[in-house]
Amino acid sequence: MTERAGFLALVLHTHLPFVRHPEHPHFLEERWLFEAITETYLPLLERFQRLANDGVPFRLTMSFTPTLLAMLSDGLLQTRYLHYLEQLSELSAKEIERTRWLPPFHRLALFYHHRFATARRLYVESFRRNLIQPFRELSDRGLLEPIASCATHGYLPLMEVQPVAVRAQIAVGVRAFEQAFGKGPVGFWLPECGYHPGHETFLKEFGIRYFLTDAHGILFGSPRPKYGVYAPAICPNGVAAFGRDLESSKSVWSAEEGYPGDDEYRDFYRDIGFDLDYDYVRPYLNGDGARLNTGIKYYRITGKTDDKQPYDPDRAFERAAQHAGNFLFNRERQVEHLRSIMDRAPLIVSPYDAELFGHWWFEGPDWLELLVRKIHVDQRTIELIAPSDYVQRYPTNQVLEPTMSSWGNGGYSDVWLSGANDWIYRHLHKMAERMTEQANAHPRPDPLRARILTQMAKELLLAQSSDWAFILKTQTHTAYAYRRLRDHLARFGALYDASRQGQADDAWLSEIEAKDNLFPFLDYRLYATS
Amino acid sequence: MVARVATPEEQFVIPTGYGDDRIVAMVKDPWWIFAYWEIQAGTERAARSQLLPHEVAGLQSILRVYDVTGIDYPAQPAHASFDIGLSGLATNWHLHTATPGRSFIVELGLLTAQGRFLLLARSNRVTTPRFGPSDVIDEAWMIADEDFWKLVGEIGLGPGASGSASWSRLAAQSLSSVRSSGNLFIQNRTPAVRGFWCRVDTDLVIHGATEPRATVTVQGQPVAIRKDGTFSLRLALPDGTQSITVECSSPDGRQTRTVTPLISLAWPAPVTPSTAAPHSRP
Repeated sequence: MTERAGFLALVLHTHLPFVRHPEHPHFLEERWLFEAITETYLPLLERFQRLANDGVPFRLTMSFTPTLLAMLSDGLLQTRYLHYLEQLSELSAKEIERTRWLPPFHRLALFYHHRFATARRLYVESFRRNLIQPFRELSDRGLLEPIASCATHGYLPLMEVQPVAVRAQIAVGVRAFEQAFGKGPVGFWLPECGYHPGHETFLKEFGIRYFLTDAHGILFGSPRPKYGVYAPAICPNGVAAFGRDLESSKSVWSAEEGYPGDDEYRDFYRDIGFDLDYDYVRPYLNGDGARLNTGIKYYRITGKTDDKQPYDPDRAFERAAQHAGNFLFNRERQVEHLRSIMDRAPLIVSPYDAELFGHWWFEGPDWLELLVRKIHVDQRTIELIAPSDYVQRYPTNQVLEPTMSSWGNGGYSDVWLSGANDWIYRHLHKMAERMTEQANAHPRPDPLRARILTQMAKELLLAQSSDWAFILKTQTHTAYAYRRLRDHLARFGALYDASRQGQADDAWLSEIEAKDNLFPFLDYRLYATS
Repeated sequence: MVARVATPEEQFVIPTGYGDDRIVAMVKDPWWIFAYWEIQAGTERAARSQLLPHEVAGLQSILRVYDVTGIDYPAQPAHASFDIGLSGLATNWHLHTATPGRSFIVELGLLTAQGRFLLLARSNRVTTPRFGPSDVIDEAWMIADEDFWKLVGEIGLGPGASGSASWSRLAAQSLSSVRSSGNLFIQNRTPAVRGFWCRVDTDLVIHGATEPRATVTVQGQPVAIRKDGTFSLRLALPDGTQSITVECSSPDGRQTRTVTPLISLAWPAPVTPSTAAPHSRP
């Protein structure tokens, strides 16, 4: 095979915060995981396996946060997911009856009922409730390059005053990855692409060879990058940084110009949970009875109107094929243009949140599969690779220092450090300081203190999730984020007192160990500095 | 019987401070830093005790922000500094440092009308990121200026000249336009059309009862019968007239009852808001 003119690295970042409430029979925010499984993870796995079985070669990069890995392998959440799916299946069966006289909707009711049956079959029979294993198999076959991320999606630039906390987020992320994939990660997803100079030191310590940044992290780096973001920058310590290509990002992300806003695509906001008679949908709502998104959505975007037309999956699929073709065409032109400036094959790095595909952009998984097929069949200009493959082809790259950056609004830390959430850092920093104080004081703990300190570290990590600051910033659903921060602060504080006194309320300790039960491998001595 | 003790979570109140004398600085973006602090009353009293009687009037709490780029402050003097006057209750501040690519240290203290500064706490050092391409060129990785701007132009930042105001504005716009992430499960609904709206749909509920072991079909399709013999079926009702054949058969199949109600749905007036609205008022 002749060498291609350029390369494309598609990077899907999967993440959900740890949401698990055994103390409640139904919990609204647990639905984030359930919706992501049904709408994103299962559809992606199904398509990846289909591509593999059809002999279509591909290479994608996916990051997995430890919080998501922990939830995917949690027995309680697995059982609850199946219950959730059964409820949806029951509702869609009722919808098949109800829509008997409305053919476009009847067809969609059948469509959803079939989707939920397929989801159940995949989840129970094909994957035996374990979604990590099929990703691991794709990795073993070389089709997927899985990469690690921070323990709880902590936003590292705002932890800068406590390097030990930054290091712990990375260390736990790498350890969770090893558990899930049976090998060390070559790459690392910095949450929100949040990079602060110097953090590559910790990445290198844990064997990471590359991470991803937003475009300006590389473009504003020093010395000036010869290839812009179209080749990796090597940090002075040897770890590579790959910058995001904004042109390809825009076509998928942008609300105005992006593909997901097309009139033919499914409208996210029109859901039968809001549209149908309250008494009819009530059995499928949560305990508080508030209307919610069930996932059964009958309308297409249609246009800037409230007069939405029924969704047509076939027409939407055709549009996804056109958009895949358009994306590929634009990348070919982009590579040709870059090739006229660069004396080597450029690499276009396009990272996206995985949950964009399927959950937010319903046709996203189809688009992705069609894109992979078109890359294989329709052209010879570009090749799909993982970032690490590029370094193998071009081992010599420019050394420079990237700048602090993120992919959040504004390009820096504004999203996570605003008037709505700046108050949390006083507490997060203090927690990390106290964690280090106790870790230093107890290098060889008795069994009780080991339990206390391990749980303390878990509460600290959970409080550091960037999700809480983000939700506070959006000013919607803030009650849950506030509650989570408060609970982790409270538990941490009580554990800190318990550690200093050398005694704890065993029943309470057992209870929170059972609630915040992730990271069984965690060693709190990560936080020790002496 | 022992009363249930409230859990630590239930008892917890988020503290306002931790008994420290401390100020912590964080970088927000190339132009802004953030600082939070706490000072114990005793510490402030000790500082005030150094005041001479004539210095008490006009005393003010301030933040003094030092540009310490490349400088070992306080061993060496800072390049420059500016002050921000605080109200007594402030415990944090967003500081407009305005200059990307510089290092800062923030001091919290008391400033007398005569200009004497009494230090209460000194922050960590922070460095704002450079904004714009570096002027440093590595000779082994040379690139013509024109070609570099072509590469940058790919992302919509260029082709303005480096360092110019238009370039900075374009770049700032670009950084706010193609953003992503956060949490896709927390999204606000943006209504397509503003103003008053309404929607009317019609569902038809057919319900009845027979013997629990009987069979019931509606238009040939079987309907589930509950243990008490009742059944119900909900149908979205289209426009026009529907005849609905409901057939009940006894458990042994020997007896059958057929009922066929006729249901009509019609919208007598056009449903467009402009014409319907004036007439619909009683």
